[in-house]
Amino acid sequence: MTDRLDDAIELLKTPPAVSVEARVMAEIRQMAVPVTARPVRVTRILPWLGLALAAGVAAIFLISTRNAQGPLGESEGMAQFVGQFPGARSVEVVGSFNNWSRGLLHLRDDDHDGIWHAAAVLPAGQHEYMFVIDGERWVTDPLAGRFVDDGFGSGRENSVLIVRPAVQP
Amino acid sequence: MEIRDVAPLAGVTQQVNDSLTDVEVVARVLGGDGEAFGILIRRYEPGLLRFAARMLGNADAAADAVAESLVRAYRHLGQCRDPGHLRSWLYRITGNRCRSHLARKHMSDLPLSEVPAPALADEADSWTMLERSEQVALVARALAALPPEKREAFVLKHVEGLSYEEMAQVTGARIPTLKMRVHRAREALVAALGALV
Repeated sequence: MTDRLDDAIELLKTPPAVSVEARVMAEIRQMAVPVTARPVRVTRILPWLGLALAAGVAAIFLISTRNAQGPLGESEGMAQFVGQFPGARSVEVVGSFNNWSRGLLHLRDDDHDGIWHAAAVLPAGQHEYMFVIDGERWVTDPLAGRFVDDGFGSGRENSVLIVRPAVQP
Repeated sequence: MEIRDVAPLAGVTQQVNDSLTDVEVVARVLGGDGEAFGILIRRYEPGLLRFAARMLGNADAAADAVAESLVRAYRHLGQCRDPGHLRSWLYRITGNRCRSHLARKHMSDLPLSEVPAPALADEADSWTMLERSEQVALVARALAALPPEKREAFVLKHVEGLSYEEMAQVTGARIPTLKMRVHRAREALVAALGALV
């Protein structure tokens, strides 16, 4: 019977007669070159600032739709991204809501105090995201309320945000 | 310029690409040579497709899962901490995609057409071919009847030829657990094959 199992294993070794190479290469040619992740430098946050951030923004939270420009759809909500990255030249957010693509959602630090922020209308529901600092350093949002394994076996986690649908007036 | 020069040059290029280690290819991609990712696709696509097909029982779903996995791998290549173990990393991503797919949809019985029979030494021997086809269908059905974690362990070990250390990296499970899953899967498959007698 073991011989029969060995024969079965040999049968199972036949790969499907398909290829995804052309499809994958066509898709990645539309994408930016991947960046090298460097060790994350954890920024120490002053207690009062941490409290303010946690209470006020906690990296991402739903703000009143009354502040939004234009009406939001029933399945949309406004999310605000905030992080403290002193010395950063650029900060952006990539996540499941923008197909992890860079260059689409940049944070701003107009007063150069090291606190970067941006707001975006997102579909209601759960999203995963990370910050990309200076175009090359991927950082998990330390102030996110929830985290999930990034699925790549690296021990890294994506931050999770939940966008609730806008409250209709 | 003589056209006949083209083929040998292409062959040389292929040989050079084949001799590059995963670490070297990853470095090229991260250095801006996105086309070099094609080397990794050609290197690992057959195994990943076979793994996904055995997990999902459907060639189309397997192709989708592998394509999505490779795109994700490219996008997050910079997060691969150890390119020397790229194979395990790619199988892990693909395994995760397969688990997501299985969670969304209950697997149906494996269609016979989804499992291609290997080429026979004597294609004219139609009786042997028919017997082989029946065996392929039986084995595929028996495999599909296993719980996903046992199916995954069996396929990674016996079909893909991964070591238990690599399997632990792919699945996140402990090695003793994986050995038990493989053992149970073998028992179930032997029983299913015995039913054919």
